[in-house]
Amino acid sequence: MSDLPEERDEPLIPQANLPTGSNVDGPGHIDPEDLTLYALQFLEDEQAAAIAAHLTHCAACGDELALIHGDLAATALTTELESPSPAARQRFLTQIAQEKVAHKNQAAQENQIPQENKVAPIAPTNKQAQSTADSAQPPLASFGRKGSILNPIEEERPKRRVGLGIFAGLGWAAAAALAFFAFILHQDRASLRGTIASRAGEVETLNAEAASSHQLLEALTDPKAVRVALTAKPQPKPSPIGGVTYNPEKGTLIFLASNLDPLQLYKVYELWIIPADGSAPIPAGTFHSDDSGNASLIMPDLPKGIVAKSFGVTVEDDGGSQTPTLPIVLAGGLG
Amino acid sequence: MPQPSVEDDPSLLALVRKGDEQAMASLFDRYSKVVYSVALRVLRDPAAAEDVLQEIFMQLWRNPDSFTSTRGSLGGWLAVVARNRSIDTLRRKRPTDSVDDVVLASSTNIASEVERSSLMERARGVIVTLPAEQRKTLEMAFFDGLTHVEIAELTGDPLGTVKTRIRSALLTLRKAFQP
Repeated sequence: MSDLPEERDEPLIPQANLPTGSNVDGPGHIDPEDLTLYALQFLEDEQAAAIAAHLTHCAACGDELALIHGDLAATALTTELESPSPAARQRFLTQIAQEKVAHKNQAAQENQIPQENKVAPIAPTNKQAQSTADSAQPPLASFGRKGSILNPIEEERPKRRVGLGIFAGLGWAAAAALAFFAFILHQDRASLRGTIASRAGEVETLNAEAASSHQLLEALTDPKAVRVALTAKPQPKPSPIGGVTYNPEKGTLIFLASNLDPLQLYKVYELWIIPADGSAPIPAGTFHSDDSGNASLIMPDLPKGIVAKSFGVTVEDDGGSQTPTLPIVLAGGLG
Repeated sequence: MPQPSVEDDPSLLALVRKGDEQAMASLFDRYSKVVYSVALRVLRDPAAAEDVLQEIFMQLWRNPDSFTSTRGSLGGWLAVVARNRSIDTLRRKRPTDSVDDVVLASSTNIASEVERSSLMERARGVIVTLPAEQRKTLEMAFFDGLTHVEIAELTGDPLGTVKTRIRSALLTLRKAFQP
């Protein structure tokens, strides 16, 4: 595979000549290199706006842009997987639970308001429709009686119930109280569900933390695990030093180091397992040292059953390598 | 850790649209590592990376329709959005890119742990075979958020060369993932 340092510093205009491999073909399209810069969000606002405008009516360029986004997704997958802290998960679950409760409360309040609005105008309408004034008529009496104005038979009902008005009023008061309690219960229930979801998340987080701690403790104290000291040649300043705790049966590994030199930008330390069977070194993970020169690599994903002859640390390009690059910064063997 | 959900992404998203917190938690468990790792690689700051993680998943919770299946795979979409959000953070820039702009033609599905690991291995395998200049240029552009102009200034390479290297590296990745 060869690099092609082709000189193509061209303006951001639709291009006729496109590189091989592009799905965008023919004149009047955006140069795929410029589409790539657009996808990476490197263009000035004006240039980006021009391409965005072109994309609104050019399906071919839209398809090419989608391919580029797919390429960028593949690029994203080249990064080493790291786990966020359990607290991040908990924070997220708590927030969505809170937002859900707030949303329900807001929805409940919105439901209350229209009901009140709905009732208010109907009562006066009913009053207007009644030829005989009926002061005992409760405000909610017309609820659900859309036809009352047009139906004289319906109009007469209140007259026959004048004597029962006070009981009707009591009934409506009871209904209103019931609705109020139902609303309170609904709110409590929503709140409790939010709390339960939050607590469930906490329990999951604690379980995960406990399992992780247990695994770490087991790896550190396991009598079957080998402990190897890694040293460097003597230097005027404190020499870098590291130690590996490794259990081949379980594939568990803990590496701690100190006095490491700071690295250049885009460089990273990488730990290697040198198998006893003479096969190629196995990358065990990359790490950076902190400002004090300390570093650790805890429980990287490793296949089980690799019997190690020795371990080594090298400096690699950011992202790590599949083969170690000399010189070896730290090394140590079994026995 | 919680047991991973066996439901596929569209089913979980449909539940999220109905306000199902458990479905949202499942999506978080499925993709938080990818989103966080990309953000961490760009920002090199765990706290800032977790902020980006939180922001992206809250956005998905509040507006699950921002992703539709026509945008490709949810995992790939989240990875690209994570990179873009992180670069915005790095530039101290208010997020201006609309997530709606990100449409992937890739059919890459990283919903399952096995599939995800396999694809990541393949992607890493391809990236290490790239010529060093291509790889370095792509990583500077994608993970460090350096623009083509900034890369050209840093490396002393002509602008056109930088653009071509980025494009060539991406095309190599594309070919490797083509069936």
